[in-house]
Amino acid sequence: MRRRLHLLATHLAVGFFSLITVTPYLWLLSTSLKFKTEVFTPTPQWLPWPINFGNYAEVFDRAPFGTFLVNTVIVVTGILAVQLVTVTLAAYVFARRQFRGANILFLLFLAQMMIPIHATFLPNFLTLRNVDLLNTRVAMMLPFFASGYGTFLLRQAFKQVPRELEDAAIIDGCGGLRFLWHVLIPLARPTLVAFGLISLVSHWNDYLWPLIVTDTPDVRTLTIGLGMFVQQESGADWTLLMAATVFVTAPLLAIFLVFQRKFIESFMFSGLKG
Amino acid sequence: MRQRWGVLLMALAVFLAGAPPDAQAQAPSKLIRLTFYYPVGVAGPLAKVIGEMTDKFNKENPGVEVVPVYSGDYDPTLQKVQTAVMAGNPPDIFIVEISELPTLLAMNAIIPLDDYVKKAERGKYWEDFFPAFRENSLLRGRIWWIPFQRSTPVFYWNKELFKKAGLDPEKPPQTWAELKEMAKRLTIREGNEVKQWGVTISGGWNDWLFEAFVRQNGSWLINPDGTKVNFDSKEAVEALEFWVDLMHKEKVGPPHSTWGSTPPDFVAQRTAMLYHSTGILTFLRNSAKFDFGVAFMPKNKTFGAEVGGGNLAISRKIPKDRQDAAWKFIEWMTSSENAAQWSMASGYVATRVSAYNVPTLKEFLAKDARYLVARDQLQYASGKMMAPNFQKIREILKRQLDDAVDGKVTPKEAMATVQKQVEAVIKR
Amino acid sequence: MPDSTAVVTPERPSAQALWLTPTGRFRFRGGGIYLYLLPSLAFLAIFTYYPIAFSTYLSLFRWNVLNPDKVFVGLANYLTLWHEPLFWLVLRNNLFYALGTIPTTMALALFLAVLVNQKLGAARSIYRVALFYPTMIPMVAAAMLWVWIFNPGIGLFNYYAGFLGMPRIEWLYDRHWALPAIIIMSIWKNFGYFMLIYLAALQGIPAELYEAASLEGAGAWSRFREITFPLLAPTSLFVFVVAIISSFQVFDQVFVMTQGGPADQTNVLVFYIYQNAFRFWDIGMGATLTTIFICLLLVLIAVVFRYVGRRVYYEAE
Repeated sequence: MRRRLHLLATHLAVGFFSLITVTPYLWLLSTSLKFKTEVFTPTPQWLPWPINFGNYAEVFDRAPFGTFLVNTVIVVTGILAVQLVTVTLAAYVFARRQFRGANILFLLFLAQMMIPIHATFLPNFLTLRNVDLLNTRVAMMLPFFASGYGTFLLRQAFKQVPRELEDAAIIDGCGGLRFLWHVLIPLARPTLVAFGLISLVSHWNDYLWPLIVTDTPDVRTLTIGLGMFVQQESGADWTLLMAATVFVTAPLLAIFLVFQRKFIESFMFSGLKG
Repeated sequence: MRQRWGVLLMALAVFLAGAPPDAQAQAPSKLIRLTFYYPVGVAGPLAKVIGEMTDKFNKENPGVEVVPVYSGDYDPTLQKVQTAVMAGNPPDIFIVEISELPTLLAMNAIIPLDDYVKKAERGKYWEDFFPAFRENSLLRGRIWWIPFQRSTPVFYWNKELFKKAGLDPEKPPQTWAELKEMAKRLTIREGNEVKQWGVTISGGWNDWLFEAFVRQNGSWLINPDGTKVNFDSKEAVEALEFWVDLMHKEKVGPPHSTWGSTPPDFVAQRTAMLYHSTGILTFLRNSAKFDFGVAFMPKNKTFGAEVGGGNLAISRKIPKDRQDAAWKFIEWMTSSENAAQWSMASGYVATRVSAYNVPTLKEFLAKDARYLVARDQLQYASGKMMAPNFQKIREILKRQLDDAVDGKVTPKEAMATVQKQVEAVIKR
Repeated sequence: MPDSTAVVTPERPSAQALWLTPTGRFRFRGGGIYLYLLPSLAFLAIFTYYPIAFSTYLSLFRWNVLNPDKVFVGLANYLTLWHEPLFWLVLRNNLFYALGTIPTTMALALFLAVLVNQKLGAARSIYRVALFYPTMIPMVAAAMLWVWIFNPGIGLFNYYAGFLGMPRIEWLYDRHWALPAIIIMSIWKNFGYFMLIYLAALQGIPAELYEAASLEGAGAWSRFREITFPLLAPTSLFVFVVAIISSFQVFDQVFVMTQGGPADQTNVLVFYIYQNAFRFWDIGMGATLTTIFICLLLVLIAVVFRYVGRRVYYEAE
């Protein structure tokens, strides 16, 4: 009986916090479906009536959100693609080879995890300006191509593979890169997937760096597009703003809801083990 | 197999990433493509309107194609323009906020337009612009850019709430004293909470509004050359004292807000009176469910206002033929017809006197005379203050204004601080 | 040592690191291995480490929109900042933000992780999704939403807070409450992620420990205090470090919600750097602030590595 009460209390507590967390998004959806004049009611109307789907169309009419979506997809996949290459190669030698300076070099990788783009954006901006790469999609990707975090995670995963396996493989003529490609990578797939998801999510949501290096709408990403859209509306038309916000958040949320197990697993084990 | 597709997809992504944003393969050789950076400072589908106008121009001028690039609010647009200029890759045409002229000149970013202007419309072009709008276009005797999206602050009042408070809905306050009295009557409190503010002086561009108040008190803040500042004058301090009185002592107005938050507040009837740009009139018309009026800002020693908005400029570091094409565009955009058209679509004041004779605009104004208030206020309006490094000056002024209306510093101290810090900035 | 990138292992003179093979190619000790690191190192060098050097270098110059050619001024920029009250206000804001978000977020995350770790059946996945989804939203989107929610007149927050007896606060328009508003919003956005980290760690605690404790009559709180909390110490440390670094990176919310105002009460370091570099076009000052920021991070890195790093590094062996 005590147990039951305990469980009930737990459900109530967790349910309460879940509700608080979800409520803002419901409010977002609700506002996005209202008419401009229906927003200024003194008491919140949760169910929009009459429903106005037109806000979404108008959002698209006012700014090329479709382009923004395409740009975002290009940028995050581009980042991940190159990251997978740099991270895999680096993690391989850190995990399975001894060489001079390994410790110091690895420290450089680890330190990078603690030096975010927010600290280096100004000099990086100047660098890109000097090589005339501003306002390109590549510019949004470059600083992220090396990932200390990914290298660290993958190194841990690669280390799990027993030495004997590698020795056997070498004897069979499958050493080095072949071993990496045919054995290590498949075995480390969960880690790669986890890292991939984390990278995709975090770069989908990038704002400061794209803000600084992009000028024109044709390379803008969703987050920047939303920020610009807000200014366009001078913060006045909430229904449109909320509709735009729904559109910007929907793709990733939808994928998240479908693959939630994978996402949650990935993020859960993004920390240190134990 | 799935791995291969993954790799392929990613390779494609990286390839696409390198693709230049405006990959124009082989453009017809004679076509001049001009980039046009512009801001949108008021609510509404203005990006669309600009798009439509440039489309029209492009059709009428086959050798030129203007590509409009919406660049955000005034601040981000300035930032993008500056970035591009400093990268040696400036937009051909751009609009930035008028106070930035000295900064643009310090960056050597734009060309003087005197020669073009002299030849335009057989010499009658320049005089047709309202004098108040011309002021920020001139510096050291030369014309640097052309007025385009221009405004003044105006005074909005909610007639229904006036009625409820027992005030004559057709009589907005004419003086500061009246404003204070009416604001007190229009402020409704429930316990410690304010349900309805009497008057809101919008934040965000409260530096702009403050200049207006100083003008209403018969003074100025920065001289037209941008070399002398007058923040600690008696009149400026008095103006700030009036603000502090309203927002801190009598508490009839909110001390802080943003430029974008106050129009919805007005629509939601959270504030009975509002100081804001004439540019939001269309938004208010479309959103408010009550009758409201537009008037001159109340006077103290005199009615006073200063102008605001953005001008069209041509970059310096582009070849002459592009500059010529850019001028064609500017001349077109600022013709009487188009100035009228733009005014109707945006709510900005039409920049030229003759625009008000254009039949469509006349019709439009006949239906709603409130749009004429800003234009009529122009007789009391002066140019907007400008100086090099204006962004920093703005922040300094806004900070002290914010602190003063919170009671953190006295108006005298605040303006003394502004004076000191701005003088340091100008000298730097 | 078998060199996997060549069929024949060239003879290596024992002491030399660099030598010429009989076929005329240069080889150096380790050879191909460094090649594996080259891509990463190249990007790290250009985009992480060179910026540190570059910004330190630039901080010694006066370089702004009115001085388009750099002028060497030594430590003058640093001196200016030392005497600039706004600079200290910005640092104070970062500190307040950290104090406001970190303990609360950690406590909330831990609390919910412990609860969610119970046997909640099918509801558990629903709870996890509900509590974690804010991580999937860009901060700017969340910020936009919360500007709307914090609207003093018709926003959700004030409406429901009113039922709890709270006075109507002007939130983003009140110099005292703007930063708390941002703090509240950031907690909402971030706690789910930390909750998951704790959840993962909790699942690593053997159930037997709890059973044994129960048998000895220890209550829930006791079990938490004696078993859970201590065993989560490494995780808590990790979460703490991540939270501190995140707290320095606050930008998006400030940019969207307050632009540093009112009266610079929400101006934080990254936003201040952005203001100086991209609004005032004072690159010299921006570089100075960047260098200071990086120094703070480096100090943090040093501390972390000294006390934790070894454990992290070797444990990963």
